[in-house]
Amino acid sequence: MAFFEQDIHDEPKTFLSKYIFSFDHKVIGKQFLWYGIFFLGVGGMMALLIRWTLAFPGQAFPVLGPILFPDTNGVVPPDTYAMLFTMHGTIMIFYAITPILIGAFGNYCIPLMIGARDMVFPTLNMLSFWIAVVSGIMLLASLVTPLGAAAGGWTSYPTLSTLLGSPGVGQTLWTLALFVLGVSSTMGAVNYIATIITLRAPGMGYFDMPLTIWGLWLTAILNAIFLPVLGAGLLLLTFDRMFGTTFFLAGAAATSGSGDPILFQHVFWIFGHPEVYILILPAWGIVSDLLSFFARKPAFGAKSTALSMTAITVLSTVVYGHHMYSSQMSPLLTQSFMMLTMTISIPSAVFFANWLGTIWKGALKFDTPMIFSLGVVFVFGLGGLTGLYLATVTTNIYLHGTYFVVGHFHYTMAASVLLGGFAATYFWFPKMFGRMMNEFWGKVHFWLTMLGLNGVFMGMMIVGHAGMHRRIYNPFVYEFLQRLIPLNQFITISALLMGAAQIIFVVNFIHALIKGPKASQNPWNVGTLEWTIPTPAPHYNFKEIPVVKCGPHEFGNPLLKDKDFQYQTEELVKA
Amino acid sequence: MKFISLLAATLFVLSAYGQDSTESSSWLSLLKAPLDISVEGHRVDSLITLTTYLIIFFFVIVCIGLFGFSYYYSQKRHPVPLYIDGTSKKHILIVAFIGSLVFVLIDMQITSISNNDYMEVFNKWPDENKEEVVKVEVLGQQWAWNFRYAGADGIFNTEDDVVTLNDLRVPTGKKVVFQITSKDVIHAFSIPNVRLKVDAIPGRITRMWTEFTKPGDYSIACTEMCGTYHYRMQAKLKVYDPNDFANWLAESHSNTKHIVDQENPDIFWGWKWIVTTQN
Repeated sequence: MAFFEQDIHDEPKTFLSKYIFSFDHKVIGKQFLWYGIFFLGVGGMMALLIRWTLAFPGQAFPVLGPILFPDTNGVVPPDTYAMLFTMHGTIMIFYAITPILIGAFGNYCIPLMIGARDMVFPTLNMLSFWIAVVSGIMLLASLVTPLGAAAGGWTSYPTLSTLLGSPGVGQTLWTLALFVLGVSSTMGAVNYIATIITLRAPGMGYFDMPLTIWGLWLTAILNAIFLPVLGAGLLLLTFDRMFGTTFFLAGAAATSGSGDPILFQHVFWIFGHPEVYILILPAWGIVSDLLSFFARKPAFGAKSTALSMTAITVLSTVVYGHHMYSSQMSPLLTQSFMMLTMTISIPSAVFFANWLGTIWKGALKFDTPMIFSLGVVFVFGLGGLTGLYLATVTTNIYLHGTYFVVGHFHYTMAASVLLGGFAATYFWFPKMFGRMMNEFWGKVHFWLTMLGLNGVFMGMMIVGHAGMHRRIYNPFVYEFLQRLIPLNQFITISALLMGAAQIIFVVNFIHALIKGPKASQNPWNVGTLEWTIPTPAPHYNFKEIPVVKCGPHEFGNPLLKDKDFQYQTEELVKA
Repeated sequence: MKFISLLAATLFVLSAYGQDSTESSSWLSLLKAPLDISVEGHRVDSLITLTTYLIIFFFVIVCIGLFGFSYYYSQKRHPVPLYIDGTSKKHILIVAFIGSLVFVLIDMQITSISNNDYMEVFNKWPDENKEEVVKVEVLGQQWAWNFRYAGADGIFNTEDDVVTLNDLRVPTGKKVVFQITSKDVIHAFSIPNVRLKVDAIPGRITRMWTEFTKPGDYSIACTEMCGTYHYRMQAKLKVYDPNDFANWLAESHSNTKHIVDQENPDIFWGWKWIVTTQN
């Protein structure tokens, strides 16, 4: 179905053209992976500093504290605390999850799984990565500016994020860094959309694509439409900060201006609600595929899964108002957003049923990618269902701005996406690096992470319902929150456990890179196109552009004699 | 099997949470929201409890599928997978049935309850022509709450207004209406004990009403990030009997300084009360 011939380019010879300014989607994917893992580490350390402060207020952070905060003998100061949670949110969403799930696996998997030699626009792809690097440097630079980094929360609502609340250059850098990252992600998204539409191998219809590609495709569409919306908001905010405009300034006292701070909230959440689906859709796609691959059974209702994801993509654009109930919108808007938000649970229930249908009467193999995928079903079940409290307006008004919200969105955006990302890492590692990761330590990593993250996020929901609100340096200045000290300590210990578990992952990853056993061409016995080529993939991917003859989930066909799966390039065996 | 017993235990724990346990020292009390001191706050609590039961019901189904299938259909116990792709009419109907079950059993229930509570109670403003309400103007600023009572003349922004800082006093037995704004950045006026909060936004006035039931001392929090000392933006709430409140207000009137410098926005910040007569 390709619209044009794809040439085999010459192999890059120099170090620079091969590893640094490479046009190869596989190399760019790996670059995004390193980038994302680096920021995941930075954001994770910030999370531990935040958790330590909440559980042991006024006590020095062990080991690192005195080095980072010599003026306070290692205690995190309140202004730094605000920077920490702001940067933690920003980094995790835009600089860790987006590069890993979308940048790394999007780049790596899309051409390989649709049978293309590269992306449609390789130069755009390379630019997308290097612009992301520029953005990352801007963000990190903001940490060492005189008044420190941005400290208004990752939502950075004006008027706090205007000069009135954040006079430092850190907030300006934050705004510009996100704008630049938006440019980078939009470039990537446009490229993904065009690649998937034009470069699918001959014979591959949209419903013959693996669901991973569906997830990445829908994500790219949302990215291309809604990141520019955020960009517009950020530009106006920059104008307010730098050129004295008053788009978001109103009032008659300390603030004055003819603008409206709520306008920014609308713009932000028009982007912001699709953003949470931007983060989760690739993970849903990956999990839908992996459950089928390791249950050795066709994906149950693959078409309806793809269509439900599409339905959610469409619905995600019209529900953003539930983030703003407490700003007292018109009651009609409030009612409409509540109703629309509720409809999202129908497609969600459909693909949950499909996931369970996939493992029903399968022959489940519990390799590491599989247990991570099953973990996603568990944590996303919790995360999705607890969203109901926040969708209904009356309960939302009580829970809004509390740790309940933090627990809920960490279950969906952190836990589910992280586990989905790990599943993808363990699954595609052999094809990416030609070696296998250790199964035993992968499973240890899973169980410790699972234990830790449920302790953290369940604990957060409980303290939130008990009244603890978010973004406070020391909750225990409130008398009615003092009963929550032990629970906060439990959450912090769980967080430390979860952090420690990631060391296992990093060690396993590096060890496998250097000394892992060599991977065969198709270690998981899966029929999608990337497993039809040698391991690791040659720079041109496919010598001959493959012709697709069956779907990606052909497992357990009783007519097959010598193996239990079919490659997508093989004619479907029928009676 | 371990998982099922674990789930049963969780279910037991969470069912205890729905009931009114008087033992506040037990760790189960962590599962409860702060004491409800308002006439209507129970609506929020009961909706949260109902949602919890519905969620547990569906999550248990998911877990039975997840752990049950993982156990019975592992490659060891069930080596030959069933070759189906879920596109038969029967399977599509089952999936569609589950989807609509979730919508009808959970979504429609809680949405209609919440919608009703919102439109008929929390967003139904007391008609000030027909009933007497306590009126308070609230001004958030970095990092404190200012409260203004109209004083003896019943008119705001006059010399006999009673103005307090971080100190809100209200009576039981009468509806209290707040009109709220902010001087600098966005704050959120939150009283966890009555299950309500609303943003304080520069440039516009938001509203909240509630009726208190239990005299005592409580906290008011700012729940919207408003800067470094956001965490210290706490106001004290004192709920009085109607008599005590009248005494306090009368005493405060006589103590009022009766100086209003109209040029000083730190002192002269009130506005003309926006009377609500109809919804």
